[in-house]
Amino acid sequence: MTALKRIASWLYSIADGLSAVLLTAMFVTFIIQVVMRYVFNYPVGWTVEVQTIAWIWVILWGQSVTVSEADEIRFDIVYSSVSEPVRRIFRLIFSAFIVGIYAIALPAIWDYVTFMKIEETSYLDLRFDYVFSVYVIFTIAVIIRYGWIFYRSVRGKKVAITAAHDTSEPLES
Amino acid sequence: AQDKPTVRFSSVVSETDIRAEAFQRFADLVSDDFNVELYFGGTLVAQGGELAAMQRGNLEMGIPSPQDISNQIPAWSIVTSAYLFDDAEHMQEVMASEVGQELYAMVEEQLGVKILGPLYFGTRQVNLKPEIDVQTPEDLNGVTLRMPGGDAWQFLGRAIGANPTPLAYSEVYTALQTGAIDGQDNPLPNDYNMKFYEVTSQIVLTNHLVGFDLLSVSLDVWNDMTPEQQETFQAAADEIIAWSTEQHLAREAELVEFFEGEGLRVYEPDREAFRAYAQDMYLNSEFSDSWPEGMLDAINAM
Amino acid sequence: MSFEFGVAVAVIVVFALLGLPIGHAMIGASILYLLISGMDMSIAAEQLLRGLYGSYILLAIPLFIFAADLMNIGSLSDRLLIFCRALVGRFRGGLGHVNVVSSLIFSGMSGSAIADAVGMGRIIINLMLKDGKYPAAYAGALTAASAIIGPIIPPSIPMVLYALISDTSIGYLFLGGVAPGLILGILLMIANAIMARRYNFPVEEAVPVRELPKATLNAIPALLMPVILLVGIYGGVTTPTEAAALAALYAFVVSIVLYRSISPRQAFEAFRQSAKSTASVGILIAGALAFNYVVTIENVPSAIRSVLEGYNLDAVMFLLVVNVILLVLGCLLEGNAILLVIVPIFIPTAMALGIDPVHFGVVVVVNIMIGLATPPYGLLLFVVSNITKSPVASTIKFLLPFLAIMIAGLAIVTYAPDVVLWLPRMYGYNG
Ligand code: NA
Ligand code: NA
Repeated sequence: MTALKRIASWLYSIADGLSAVLLTAMFVTFIIQVVMRYVFNYPVGWTVEVQTIAWIWVILWGQSVTVSEADEIRFDIVYSSVSEPVRRIFRLIFSAFIVGIYAIALPAIWDYVTFMKIEETSYLDLRFDYVFSVYVIFTIAVIIRYGWIFYRSVRGKKVAITAAHDTSEPLES
Repeated sequence: AQDKPTVRFSSVVSETDIRAEAFQRFADLVSDDFNVELYFGGTLVAQGGELAAMQRGNLEMGIPSPQDISNQIPAWSIVTSAYLFDDAEHMQEVMASEVGQELYAMVEEQLGVKILGPLYFGTRQVNLKPEIDVQTPEDLNGVTLRMPGGDAWQFLGRAIGANPTPLAYSEVYTALQTGAIDGQDNPLPNDYNMKFYEVTSQIVLTNHLVGFDLLSVSLDVWNDMTPEQQETFQAAADEIIAWSTEQHLAREAELVEFFEGEGLRVYEPDREAFRAYAQDMYLNSEFSDSWPEGMLDAINAM
Repeated sequence: MSFEFGVAVAVIVVFALLGLPIGHAMIGASILYLLISGMDMSIAAEQLLRGLYGSYILLAIPLFIFAADLMNIGSLSDRLLIFCRALVGRFRGGLGHVNVVSSLIFSGMSGSAIADAVGMGRIIINLMLKDGKYPAAYAGALTAASAIIGPIIPPSIPMVLYALISDTSIGYLFLGGVAPGLILGILLMIANAIMARRYNFPVEEAVPVRELPKATLNAIPALLMPVILLVGIYGGVTTPTEAAALAALYAFVVSIVLYRSISPRQAFEAFRQSAKSTASVGILIAGALAFNYVVTIENVPSAIRSVLEGYNLDAVMFLLVVNVILLVLGCLLEGNAILLVIVPIFIPTAMALGIDPVHFGVVVVVNIMIGLATPPYGLLLFVVSNITKSPVASTIKFLLPFLAIMIAGLAIVTYAPDVVLWLPRMYGYNG
């Protein structure tokens, strides 16, 4: 592995690890919240804010970095029943659509997210443009990912977008 | 009549709420000039999002809360504080006075939103499960009280002596039933709508916060109106605000009897003790730092 | 409803069929709708960000996913499996019964069918698949069917939402859901027994009775899980949402203290896996939140209302029509969205026809939950297929008989109001 590749894979591990950290934060603050209220009879409110921010981030950051195409929830009845050349056409169509529509919306999304600097979260006083910035990351990541699927499909290469299916059919009696 | 401008009006009130009827009346009153589309239950714009949507031109009318406004204009936090207003009448008097006009001007200048008037929806009271006697804030020490999320709301809970905890509105009923919380605070109509009286034993008429939202229209829409249209618009707003306020006051009076009939104890505590405790806590907190000079005294004097 | 709306619906259907992830199809269609209507395209982002920020009760989802992952990594699931096998393995379809019963027991955990499916459902699916005894798609189908029962038996988030829009008692609604939930559970177990015979799922060797005490003892920590949750919720320690965290904590502590079977590396991997599953489900919810704006601005609810008012329906026909409309909508929208946006338009008519509000609420909730698993398009369907890694088509194949029997159950609940109302009446309901 070249040094560059090593750094890239190291950076990816960190980015990927952030998903786990976000979920840990949710879990730990929930426990703190229950313990503070039930055991110490001194309820706290900031935990709710950490949880909801982590919830947004775990979904959109996770979609940007951690989730692979095989993990995505899709309706694959048709896709999995057609041949690879047809699948390739399907991939070309849907990846072109999503890259196009997300790219067209990107300036408006940027405008909204930066506009939200006018509001702050209640306890942590975090500006909402920071909280919602993950949506910009998500949009760009999806554009890159589906751009790549489009590119591979144009070149005639396979892309595994569905999970390895359990093909064993039920045993008819 | 086809080219009447469309006014999207979104709120989180439910379709069966008194205010929903008021908004329908408003739509009828201005129907010569405007096509007002009503959206209820926060289906068009989620709770807390109306102000930003109006600022961005995606919504023409809404009823942002004083808490929403104070998010962007900290001076507004004064009207979110406990025991500022004695009752609905006092609140309306203050908002119609120079004090109110000063507050409205800030919203116009800084947010581009024109406020048509304060829409009263009930005074917040403490609703408890345990059968304790509450006369002073000290009696609420150690009582776990559900308050809406956000530090301003939670501070309000502390300002009446309780241990506030944020909880999703839809979980309050079960939490009261199981005892995860001791109580919650809401205007009486909410206690009725959410059936909290089924799982609690008493309502302490603390009157700790006069609840109201701000009936508002985007300044762009307002400025595009002719003076006559503005007059009709404002008159319609005044009319439905007066009607809705009257309906809410009557409903609150009626509900006291209803809750007593359901076996709840409904009583007044020592409000002066609460008021002194709360105003003292606010004055000694960071919340009062942003309050305009002399405004509290001006309000107290009215 | 406009041309733009037609385009948006067509885009969702077509691109979902082509294989685009459903969440992206819904977000993309919402943006396209805003674009061709000349509206601000950022509204889609705003709707889903604010919606996620404001939907606190959904936080139970990642925590139940996490609890389930921990139960698998620590050996709680295995011990539960050994116990269940010893108990019901000798019957044909035994683990299928375990699936249904666990849904009845754990339905108190979440109040959300999706959370039930990804949480407990995942554990039971893993048990059913462990030795290749059941086809993965069968395990998924049964889990989707039994997850429907979760929000019908209290506590139930959909019922809380219905109470909110209909001015009905939450307490009586909860009680009203108990009998229909049990009936649906029994119907499902009957269906499972028949299917097990039909597909000849292998029975396991009977475990000698003398080995039962040991298997039971080993399984006690796992069996205590629902007890801990019920004590947590009904003992006033936690809210139903927080109980999800308690479940995860319990699984974590038991695995470490009792079995010493979780290494830090494994724990981290559990967090990572759970985060990944959360993101897969979450993007679907996000898509529904974005598309909900389109449905609202298009006044779809009032369009439906005026169509309904055009016919002069009696109560029997009205309930039938409502059932059909909700089942169809369940294919397109998230359950909570249907409750908040569509159901309010039926309530005035239902009351005018003299339908009991508690009865109507239970019918509506049962219906929406079934709609979540109705082919060709239902969130539960996709969620379980994603867990089992089976094609949706195979899941549907096994799901159809279960759905048929659930719809029969829905008919009972719809046309025999006493089934719903006897328990609330016992506790003083005048209806
Ligand atoms: Na199940
Ligand atoms: Na439930």
